Amino acid sequence: MIENSKCECGHQNPVGTVLCESCGKPLFEDSQNDADTPLEMRYDGVARRSQKEDPAIIDRIWSFFSSVKIAIILIFLTLVGASLGTIFVQESTLINLKTTEEFADYYEETYGTAGLIYHALGLSRTYESWWFVGLLVMIGTSLVICSLDRVLPLYRALSKQQIRKHLQFITRQQVVYTGRIEQEPEAWVAAAAQQLKRKRYRVWQEGSALLAEKNRFSRWGPYINHIGLIVFLLAVLARGIPGWHMDQYVSLYEGEREPIPGTNYYVQSDKFNLQLYKDEELADNQKGTNVVKLYETKAKLFECIDVCDDPTKEPVLRQVQQHAIHVNSPLQYKGLKLYQNSYRQHIRLISVHPSLMDTATGKSFGSFDLMMDNPKLTYDVGPYKIRLSDYYPDFGFDDQKRPMTKSREPNNPAFIFRVSGPGITGEEVYSYFPLPNASSKDFQESLNAAFKEAGANTGRFTFKVANMFQQGKMEGVKYSEFSTFLNVRVDRAMPYIWVGAAISMIGLIMGFYWQHRRIWLRIDDGMLSLGAHTNKNSYGLRADVASTLGKTGITVTPKELDNRRNVR
Amino acid sequence: MNDWLIFSSNAFITAFALYCASFIAYAIAVAGKRWSNREPAAHTARWGRIAFITALLGWAAHLTFFFTRWIGGGHIPTSNMYEFMTFLAMAIMFAFIVVYLIYRNTLLGAFTLPLVIIIIAYASVFPSQVQPLIPALNYVWLKIHVTTAALGEAFFAVGFAAALIQLIRVVDLTTTDKAGVRARRWTEFCLVIIIIIIGFLAAVFIFRGAGYHAEFRQESVLIDQQGQAQTSVKEVKYGLPPIVKPYNSDVISMQPFMGLQQPLFEAPSWMNGVNAGRKLNTVIWSVISGLVLYGLMRLIARKPLVAVIHPHLTDIDPDDLEEISYRAIAIGFPIFTLGALIFAMIWAEIAWSRFWGWDPKEVWALVTFLFYSVYLHLRLSRGWQGTRSAWLAVIGFLVVMFTLIGVNLVIAGLHSYAGV
Ligand code: HEM
Repeated sequence: MIENSKCECGHQNPVGTVLCESCGKPLFEDSQNDADTPLEMRYDGVARRSQKEDPAIIDRIWSFFSSVKIAIILIFLTLVGASLGTIFVQESTLINLKTTEEFADYYEETYGTAGLIYHALGLSRTYESWWFVGLLVMIGTSLVICSLDRVLPLYRALSKQQIRKHLQFITRQQVVYTGRIEQEPEAWVAAAAQQLKRKRYRVWQEGSALLAEKNRFSRWGPYINHIGLIVFLLAVLARGIPGWHMDQYVSLYEGEREPIPGTNYYVQSDKFNLQLYKDEELADNQKGTNVVKLYETKAKLFECIDVCDDPTKEPVLRQVQQHAIHVNSPLQYKGLKLYQNSYRQHIRLISVHPSLMDTATGKSFGSFDLMMDNPKLTYDVGPYKIRLSDYYPDFGFDDQKRPMTKSREPNNPAFIFRVSGPGITGEEVYSYFPLPNASSKDFQESLNAAFKEAGANTGRFTFKVANMFQQGKMEGVKYSEFSTFLNVRVDRAMPYIWVGAAISMIGLIMGFYWQHRRIWLRIDDGMLSLGAHTNKNSYGLRADVASTLGKTGITVTPKELDNRRNVR
Repeated sequence: MNDWLIFSSNAFITAFALYCASFIAYAIAVAGKRWSNREPAAHTARWGRIAFITALLGWAAHLTFFFTRWIGGGHIPTSNMYEFMTFLAMAIMFAFIVVYLIYRNTLLGAFTLPLVIIIIAYASVFPSQVQPLIPALNYVWLKIHVTTAALGEAFFAVGFAAALIQLIRVVDLTTTDKAGVRARRWTEFCLVIIIIIIGFLAAVFIFRGAGYHAEFRQESVLIDQQGQAQTSVKEVKYGLPPIVKPYNSDVISMQPFMGLQQPLFEAPSWMNGVNAGRKLNTVIWSVISGLVLYGLMRLIARKPLVAVIHPHLTDIDPDDLEEISYRAIAIGFPIFTLGALIFAMIWAEIAWSRFWGWDPKEVWALVTFLFYSVYLHLRLSRGWQGTRSAWLAVIGFLVVMFTLIGVNLVIAGLHSYAGV
């Protein structure tokens, strides 16, 4: 289609122009057909880059992404995709499952066939799927291109506006008034200008023609919003940059210190604190249940300053931060954040303080500290020397009835000691089970009896925590009652995310709480033609126009000014 | 209960009564125009004013309820379903007042007040006692997040009310062409849905008033996260006569109701979620009582409800309604974005260590946001203004309601606001 884009006023318009850039006259034949209908005023009818005469491939891509229709489709698909992901739980919430088969089984067992299909379609990983991420990337591209495509032409159109517009342009606006003016034209226009200024319009006058405009800045609102969204989406993508994002879990019992993998830091839980609501604080339907009031980990963060990479030596640590971590209050240090994730009530031995006793008299020769993790190998107790020969943190038997440990957790620790010293020939072998329950006492006794039978000991010694229970408290035993789970995070993109969100918000507020309003009028032979346009809230615009006209002697209700209504 | 809370619940009842009175006054304002020897415009203006002032008084009582409960309960009352829903109703009233002050449209009140009344009644289905805060909720950003999100949604609600009036206004009762009949049917369908919700409320409160209850013992098998099957036995309490009993359950006790001695059906096996059987039973009761209610109305009116309401709306332009609806949504959109997305992200970042986790509630807030951005973009092109855009405003509010209530009923996530 070859178009003649030169207007009758002499202005040469770019291809794709709808309304003459200069005088505003509609340029297309077909838009003149229905000469009564209000004009399409978007971008003031200027041409955009996407409207080219013979597009090359790059232009086609450009116009694809600059199309609002495509944008709507993309947003709609994202919306549908996102909601599909909420039908069943996402895989990412099932932290204990690993392999695809495990997941498939889980979905089938939990949700039946529908679950199986859901998993097979990949909907159980909707938000990481290529198509979902692809949609977001496409929206981002579209945002960039559509903004570039429109913002410059719009800027040009708004910064060089002609005051005297073509009559057709004026009478086909959404708000229109035509009528005779009895007064001298220029005087009337000056009076109207005065009124409009009072309503905080900026006014330009050219003889008997006038242009009044206010809140032009609100037109940039959508673009600023879109820029904010672009920044936001880029920030989300930037979390893929190595080192920008870290997400790990650390489990600590009270008193434990662990390195944070991939960093130079160590975290230690000094104490875990759990508070429940008292019954009288609860509502009737909650009474008798345990409602948690607070849980927190008293934590310390250490930085390794020396011997960090040698596993055979103890690293040199320096405490850098200390904080009571609870749900709404993470520990923060240089971009590293430690959050309270959850906890487990679970007794775990830390150390015991047993005595070496004479079995016959019950007399103690002395006592020593026995750690459950990395116990020392030798101890001096009174005159005796004790050597740790075997340690089973989680004691049990294997298939051939040999002692073994089921795990590295001290769930049922067993120690085999060799005692030497005055009056002992060689060494005597004893077992020691520190847990104060019947089954470990049984084990201890039967093993020691077996050793005696084999001639490995004489039964002279007993290992035991003296006076373990005193006034209802355990003495000589250190244990942790709770294990805490901390979530360790690094997210270097966060500042950009907030900046994007803030820009977006500013744009939204600009665009929605102010409206760009323009009024054009001209008087030809005593005949006033007035047209006005706004991108939203034409109700307010009509009120402005009606009150201005009213103050200059023309009584008209806002409703009568509505051109859209008059047409229908 | 301390004195503040007693005072607070009295204020709540007052607010509810005033809202009902206001609604009646609005109904008179709109429906009484053609009563004999009256000047229609003066009549509407007079009763519209009475109704608006009553609504304002109701809102003042509602605010009193809110702040006295805050003082009495020790924390801002937005932390369980009862409190949130009453807050939402209060926010809708605020949005209504704002939009009313811009457009001075009486009809808007006639449609917004019933919406508010329904939401308050729905709130009262939930236990209303003050509950102490669990740790995650005990945080200032949460308060900011919940209140702003609700305020944004409130403007969407007003946009919905205006859109619904617009739809009823534009139905053509005389055409027989396909599109016209379809528009009529769908608009009527919207009203039926609203009546079903009223039916739900009626059923709940009537049976609660009568002290009805039934109890079941349900055995359920859960697969835990290690993939192990765990059997558990739970007791399920019903407040409505059990048409459907929970899957795999036995009756512990059940009052007979109108010859119903035993549950008629058992819920299907795939409905094994928490209280799924009871929810299904509630849905069935809602539909039955809603349809009965609707049938009665049809019997009295002898024509579709749309045809009953439509004649009262003829003196307003659909364009005005469309403008109100769009404007309400345009006011609400930034507030919603700020509250439901940005503040939510700030809070989630602090409480849960990530600003976004694709939790169902989060996703649905995003879906709401995307839906309204589709609405706004579609309106940029001309073919999508008018009736189509009104339909979008109606559907948008459905999305909002699903996000608020549906997600809790159907999908459970981290946002473990009290169950139903
Ligand atoms: C999720 C993504 C998006 C959001 C939240 C969003 C939001 C908005 C909002 C709130 C407006 C203002 C509407 C109004 O003034 O009534 C707007 C306008 C607009 N949007 Fe978007 N948008 C998004 C994506 C896009 C994309 C991908 C395009 C690409 C074509 C696009 C093109 C436009 C255009 C052309 C306008 C009109 C600008 C004007 O009035 O000058 N939007 N957008």
